[in-house]
Amino acid sequence: MGLDVEKIREDFPVLKKTVNNKPIIYMDSACMTLRPIQVIDKINEYYREYPSCGERSLHKLGKRVDEEVEKSRNIIKKFINAKRMEEIVFTKNTTEGINLLANSLGLKQGDIVLGTDKEHNSNLLPWQKLASEGVKYEVVMSGKDDNFSFENFKEKMNRGVKLVSMVHMSNLDGTTTPAKEIVKTAHENEALVLLDGAQSVPHHPLDVRKLDVDFLAFSGHKMMGPSGIGVLYGKKDLLEKLPAFMVGGGTVVDTTHYEAKFEELPQKFEAGLQNYAGIIGLGGAAKYLMKIGKENIEKHEIELNRRVTEGVEGFERLSLIGPGEAEKRGGIISFNINGVSSHEIAMMMDEMENICVRSGAHCVHSWFNAHKLDGSVRASLYIYNTPEECDKFVETLKRVIDLMK
Amino acid sequence: MICLIALVVFAVLGIFSAKYRTVAKEAFDCVFRRITLRKCTTGLDKRLKSKITGKLMLKHPGFARNVYKHFEMISWVFTIVLIVSFSYSVYSVANLFIYGNCNGPIPDAFCLFDPFISEGTEGECTIEAAVGEITGVLEVHPDDPVIGPEDAKVTIIEAGCFVCPYTKQAVPVVKQIISHYGDKIRFVYKDFPVSSAHPGAQEAAEASHCAHEQGKYWEYHYMLFENQGKTGFEELVGFAENLDLDTEQFSECLASHKYKSKVDSDFREAFEIGVYGTPTFFINGQVVVGPKTFNEFRQIIDNELARGG
Repeated sequence: MGLDVEKIREDFPVLKKTVNNKPIIYMDSACMTLRPIQVIDKINEYYREYPSCGERSLHKLGKRVDEEVEKSRNIIKKFINAKRMEEIVFTKNTTEGINLLANSLGLKQGDIVLGTDKEHNSNLLPWQKLASEGVKYEVVMSGKDDNFSFENFKEKMNRGVKLVSMVHMSNLDGTTTPAKEIVKTAHENEALVLLDGAQSVPHHPLDVRKLDVDFLAFSGHKMMGPSGIGVLYGKKDLLEKLPAFMVGGGTVVDTTHYEAKFEELPQKFEAGLQNYAGIIGLGGAAKYLMKIGKENIEKHEIELNRRVTEGVEGFERLSLIGPGEAEKRGGIISFNINGVSSHEIAMMMDEMENICVRSGAHCVHSWFNAHKLDGSVRASLYIYNTPEECDKFVETLKRVIDLMK
Repeated sequence: MICLIALVVFAVLGIFSAKYRTVAKEAFDCVFRRITLRKCTTGLDKRLKSKITGKLMLKHPGFARNVYKHFEMISWVFTIVLIVSFSYSVYSVANLFIYGNCNGPIPDAFCLFDPFISEGTEGECTIEAAVGEITGVLEVHPDDPVIGPEDAKVTIIEAGCFVCPYTKQAVPVVKQIISHYGDKIRFVYKDFPVSSAHPGAQEAAEASHCAHEQGKYWEYHYMLFENQGKTGFEELVGFAENLDLDTEQFSECLASHKYKSKVDSDFREAFEIGVYGTPTFFINGQVVVGPKTFNEFRQIIDNELARGG
């Protein structure tokens, strides 16, 4: 059954706004999604009803914060089908989750970390930084069809690889890496696997137990949750072995002037006073997405992507980034108009029809540099986008291309 | 080239609002890079181009297409216009400083930078029967209020009206002239009450002469301008009281219109030679109408002094 998009759109206050008497057409969800009123209400609920400290204060408000935070943790656990609540560590965002691991895994000189050629800077720089300490970072190049190349991956895989840290769904072109096969191969070689789930978690059905993935990092702001909140999932036995990355208030049971007794999971990784409103809002977002159903979301996005892909087919000077088939690119349409700056196109579409798309290198500079490109225009779709908006996008892009003839 | 225009526009806007300062900074960076023969990396030029053509697309797609296509050339045209107008402004300010008028040695031409004009006070208070052409010069009489020695090389005669706002506007410049030139000039004030437009002007003029007979003409003169428009009998007597004049004598003088004939004769003399409004100045015979800047007066006075009067 298809999504009732019109009903869903009612939940997003910003979509009711107009600028220059035209509605906003938001197609930048790969950068940040819009938030439904349910999430906004949940954030406000914290500030209005129990704006106090969690984990420390025994009064009624403090207890309520603890309850709501744990409720949220439980929702996230269900959302990705983790086994235990302790496996859900709240972070600031995906970037912090990956940095936490890069600084805690204890990788040594000569250890190899494998990534793809489409890594976001957040899943590239933490490992490049370790490279200066002797850890080797190697890149698995995509195949000719711009998809993940399992052959190239197997070629790189050997006993020296200690961690495979890969993007699950690329924010550059929407392609998805075959996580299950990657995990299986990595485990056969005694390597751990971290998935950058910033794009996949909000758009794609994901079950950490079925994937058997060791770690998964994702952000709230890309899944209708608040900004400044994210999650690092890790298998309990693995997280237990890791030393705390950041320490401070909330991470310890007791301290003397010279020693500390650390908390159990997940608190040992959640240093300092937490972003309670963020955590609680994130729970609200996960609940909202579960109600809609990830399968429905993915299906809707692919249908829209197909509509856009067919619409722009044959456009002069237009070249798509990634595979030609829409179903292989989720909700992302990344493209270039030969000889024209991506920023110019994005700004004109915004100016003409309030179409919000992203332009530039999308934090995947390494890929663009390797392909000698400045960047691309990226339209990224989500559940609140409609076929009519896609048609408007195609029509406006055509006008922009005509203008630039 | 669009960055240069953006720099000027946003730098000015940035004075009033912080939100434009970042763009001005970007524009500066862009201009600096272009001057040093490097590529503009801020992307500001492209952003401006997109924004402008994007807006135009909505209303005039054909025009937008042309603007997009020739954007660099259009930017150059605007830049040249900007440079020319900026240069002309600098030239005008220099003229204002040197000649007292933006346009050089033509004192009556329009000048935007003139503080009087920019305040919207250019003009004079004219009488109804104005002819608009002055054909003679006023003479100085022994009973005229005077500042400065009789043998001064330059004599400035002002025909003014105490209730005329333009005469009042000229007061600070007149004071500046008197203090700047000291004994080199003689300043004479003559009454030209524009009573048709400013009721009370006649009474104020007569009152000033009542103060003159008690030796406090100039104090009373300035007090009338400071309290311009207050010309009721009680008010005029009140000013005399403030200046410690003999109010009984003053009231009698005012009530009996003792100096009506003096004021009337001043007016008639001026009217006969064609004076049509106030303030009108005669600088060794040269006529200047309306409140002008100090620099404009200075130009004429200095010339007269140089000629030896």
